Amino acid sequence: MDSTFNYLARRLLWVPAILFFVTFVAFALARFGPGDPVRVAAGNFRDPEAFERIREERGLDDPIHIQYYTYMKGVVTRLDFGDTFRYRDFSVNEVLFPAMWRSMQYNTVALAITVGVGIPLGIFAARRQGTWMDPASISSFLVLQSIPALVMVPFALLFFSLKLGILPASGWPRDCNVVVPGLPPGYECIGVISTEAIIPVLALSLPGIAIWGRFTRAFTVDVMKEDYVRTARSKGLSEYQVMKRHVLRNALLPLSTVIAFSLIGLIEGSFFVETLTGVPGAGRLTFESIGGRDYDMIMAVVIIGSTLYLLTSVAIDILYTIIDPRIRIGARNN
Amino acid sequence: MTSNPRGFLFSIIFIGVAAFMMACGGDDSGGGGNDPLNPNGGSGSNPGAGVDADLRLVGGDPITLDPALAGDEGSATYIVELFGGLVTIDRNLQIVPDLAEAMPQVTTNADGTQTYTFKIRRDALFHDGRPVTAEDVRYSLNRTAKLGQTTSATAEAYLGDIVGARDVTRGRADEVSGLKVVDNSTISITIDSPKAYFLAKLTYPTAFVVDKQQVEANPRNWTRKPNGTGPFKMVEWRLNERIILEANNRYHLGAPTVGRVLFLLAGGSVLTQYENDELDVAGISTLDIERVQSTRDPLNAEYKTGPNLSVSYIGFNTKTPPFDDPKVRQAFAMSIDRDQIARVVLKNMAPVANGIMMPGLPGYNAQSKALAFDPARAKQLLAESKYGSATGLGTVTITEIGGGANAGVATQAILEMWRNNLGVEVSIAQTEAASFFDDLDRGRLQMFDIGWIMDYPDPEDIIDLLFHSTSRQNNTGYSNPQVDSLVTQARTEQDQTKRFQLYQQAEQMIIQDAPWIPLFFGRDHYVVKPNVKGYEPLPIVLPRLRYITVE
Amino acid sequence: MAREITNVATEIGPGSEYADVEVSSVSPLGLAWRRLLKKKIAMIGLVYILIFYALGSSAPLLTEAGIINHYREQDLEVSQQGPSPEHPFGTDVLGRDLLSRCIWAAQTTVIVTVATLLTGGLIMGVSFGLLSGYVGGWVDTAIMRIGDAFASLPTILMLILINATLKEQVRDAARSVEDFTGIGGIVASGAPDYFLVFGALSIFGWVGIARIIRAQILSLRETEFITAARATGASTKRIVFRHLLPNVSNIIIVSLSLGLAGIAGSEIVLTWFGVGIQPPHPSFGALIFEASGVRTVNAYPHLLIFPGLIVAGLLFGFNLLGDALTDVFTPKAR
Repeated sequence: MDSTFNYLARRLLWVPAILFFVTFVAFALARFGPGDPVRVAAGNFRDPEAFERIREERGLDDPIHIQYYTYMKGVVTRLDFGDTFRYRDFSVNEVLFPAMWRSMQYNTVALAITVGVGIPLGIFAARRQGTWMDPASISSFLVLQSIPALVMVPFALLFFSLKLGILPASGWPRDCNVVVPGLPPGYECIGVISTEAIIPVLALSLPGIAIWGRFTRAFTVDVMKEDYVRTARSKGLSEYQVMKRHVLRNALLPLSTVIAFSLIGLIEGSFFVETLTGVPGAGRLTFESIGGRDYDMIMAVVIIGSTLYLLTSVAIDILYTIIDPRIRIGARNN
Repeated sequence: MTSNPRGFLFSIIFIGVAAFMMACGGDDSGGGGNDPLNPNGGSGSNPGAGVDADLRLVGGDPITLDPALAGDEGSATYIVELFGGLVTIDRNLQIVPDLAEAMPQVTTNADGTQTYTFKIRRDALFHDGRPVTAEDVRYSLNRTAKLGQTTSATAEAYLGDIVGARDVTRGRADEVSGLKVVDNSTISITIDSPKAYFLAKLTYPTAFVVDKQQVEANPRNWTRKPNGTGPFKMVEWRLNERIILEANNRYHLGAPTVGRVLFLLAGGSVLTQYENDELDVAGISTLDIERVQSTRDPLNAEYKTGPNLSVSYIGFNTKTPPFDDPKVRQAFAMSIDRDQIARVVLKNMAPVANGIMMPGLPGYNAQSKALAFDPARAKQLLAESKYGSATGLGTVTITEIGGGANAGVATQAILEMWRNNLGVEVSIAQTEAASFFDDLDRGRLQMFDIGWIMDYPDPEDIIDLLFHSTSRQNNTGYSNPQVDSLVTQARTEQDQTKRFQLYQQAEQMIIQDAPWIPLFFGRDHYVVKPNVKGYEPLPIVLPRLRYITVE
Repeated sequence: MAREITNVATEIGPGSEYADVEVSSVSPLGLAWRRLLKKKIAMIGLVYILIFYALGSSAPLLTEAGIINHYREQDLEVSQQGPSPEHPFGTDVLGRDLLSRCIWAAQTTVIVTVATLLTGGLIMGVSFGLLSGYVGGWVDTAIMRIGDAFASLPTILMLILINATLKEQVRDAARSVEDFTGIGGIVASGAPDYFLVFGALSIFGWVGIARIIRAQILSLRETEFITAARATGASTKRIVFRHLLPNVSNIIIVSLSLGLAGIAGSEIVLTWFGVGIQPPHPSFGALIFEASGVRTVNAYPHLLIFPGLIVAGLLFGFNLLGDALTDVFTPKAR
């Protein structure tokens, strides 16, 4: 275990190094790519000298390592991600974090639906293996997974919103139904509890149901064949106890991996669903920022996303070694 | 995983149903006094009924609400309702007094400068009740100029004619010398020479009045609830969600006839929301225009249309090959059948441009003729040019702003026409706005496809600004000494008719030289709920919400 | 011949799972193929994919032969018409035949998926995975940490940024190649765009496969079989090619087939954002983008239905195939 511990410690130490690389690359790309946010904000209006002055005032003319240092200092010491060009009257934090909160609401509900429907469906299909219901359910899973959101959402909107008029055409409630008092402005609305949220949440959850369903089914089928499961059954343990004791333990590893990485996805939004249905979430915000070359917004998303990913990755590795000592990570080939 | 998957499933369903019911039930319970939309409680989902209903519009988040910094239409839409300046534009595009009591006294001075003296209305108040003074006006204009030094891209263009303004925007001085507070309610502004369009420039947000105390007390956040002088006050700005404006009942030009205006920023299909009765006004696109224009459709009664002061065009870089030869430019212009595109692709929603200046703009020339569609002549011109043929042109690329997967539909149609009528293969480059303007500024584009929206209703804003050889906004590199002299003359010509004639002459020359291919003029199409009165199509952004009534 | 069955924990992603590894001398591929043929649903998927790829590849030929139109051919007078005998899929707003455009779009998908697969998947992913798993040590660390760095960046974001930033440079490079070699038409054919798209997709795509291969190699490395081979003095090269590769080939196939769906999807996303293949070259991203507004779907549903069905079918086929392959490589008999 010692070498593994060393290994993991070293893994953790790598995180800042990788983060530095990642953020610097993103920073360089954003600032040195063609285009200039000062210019975009002015639109059709040209005044190169005014733009120069503005660039200077914002420090956009300093050498890149100075710009990078200034920016990262703000992030690390004050969690200040800078100012945004698109929303001049607000800082990146004030724009991005509420948007992430909104996306998180939708994604969390979608994830709950996905897991809550996908797993039982997967088990159901696995238990019916050999009957017609098995391939039928696999096929339905696959159909769900194969229809891109880009195609599904417009039709859903067409039927429910346009033709039938039973669901609203926008994705976020205009009069918030559930307001949590005490939360700061921008965060107090739990917009996911509304009729407006139905189509976006469904669009987000349906493909996932298929994935989880297939995964659970395959996994369950596999495990059910194992000798020790048969032994356990012959010993008289109930179906559920078998599941719990054996399946659960073996499921822990892959399950936690999937969950961990899904959790990261919670704060990112799906750009398509958000744009097509009109949800003011982080996904939409991120991609609008790229078009508008809103550097600081882009950087904030990259930093937050990368950090979460790296930490999760290390956490998973730790879990791996704890649960399955057969994997000796880091041993050299001699 | 739980030991009872069935139970788990049931609980999920239960929660889902409960949430759904809460969502449905929540619509009618409304808030108490906490919901800004329903101070008296009651139904929130059907404000169309009853007195003092809200006007529900769709909109986008403004880039900023600071009038000194705003350069885009989106921000201007809100700014003109929250703030005001000495003069404004009314719905007939006439310049009329706003904070000023009357149109200014104009005196020409011995040194060639011109002074405008304004007297400020006694009943002009900020939203918090404080009276507006001449010092407020001076402070605001000065502030804009100072911001021109650092963050405002528009300051110098709109205030630059004032004596001393350029000293401030360039950092050489701290105070604009041409602004003088004569007494508590009188201010004089001196400009460097008699310019006929100066008052028009004063209607632009750069000249709006802001509250000095508020700005200095709260420099970062004051724009979230600005204390302006306009017909509406800000109630709430929930970023990406909504903006709520409330009538300023003490507004000096007359209280608004609508109580509150709600702008929905979150997105979603606009016309669908309109049809579901969630919005009061919705724009119409080519997808629905035929339906809406047909008299059999119920929406037809709610349909309104009007010109807007904008023009879309293809611009050439006249300084680099192959478009440095006017014959090539003319050839390209004459091989496009704009009528067909307008009819089929645009479904006649936008009129074909017959020149540079558009209908509704003072100075518009209805007799003007753009270069006609004549493919035979076009081929001839190409042959006569110094490149001789299509292959002699080398690679030709047209650039446009594109965020999505496809170039503008009209552009693709035009490309095919060039291919079929002229034999030239043009490729499209789509870039996002950032790169586009950068490349445009640096003269890297051969041909580009864009539009121009008028900022104020005066030909100077287009003929002078875009075609004078030394103008910063000249994005084609066009240089014609005759046009230059006509336009310079027009700057100080006091007789309006003669002035417009000068611009029209210049326009004809420009059409012939073809640094632009003017394509289509702008036109707005939308539907308005029958219970909303006073919402008329307007050619440019100007304050208009206070004339609307929602019954 | 030692027959060993080992449970191996692989990096779990959607669809992948515990795979049983047979270390034997009978060709696993031959057995697998026979099993696959027996699965009818998978066959349908395979056939669909083959038809798709065949049509896509032959788009230029079909146009020469006059069977379909060139994708730019427009006829403004028949704009936006529904399906008819001359235009089985209808026409778009410029009167272009939708069926022809779909087939040309298929060509785009074919080029991008094949190129990305070969580069990112096979070449980069497998090599790095093998290297990392077998050699271990600092090589392993280096590769994995670099992989971490790439994987932690929000993929779509970076793809868009890279594409937007480097597009001009790549085009200029292509032009100089044109001048140098005298081969014309490189830029006009859209090759630089394709290169950028599959290049970017490869750079971000190799990490997943590499990790899976690496994990597999890690456990294989310690099996008696390999240890024995090493003990008898077999060279590294021989071990890798004769023993390791065949035993990971099944995982490679499964991962790649599942990855195809992801690649095709990513290409669509990129084009949707305007950073993929440029107009007028059609791609499914472009076709779907044109058609996905609610009002558009209401007015001209055929514009979304046909490309949507085709894409859904393709993804469905990939998923079916991947699923079937996974089943096939898991022996059921005990």
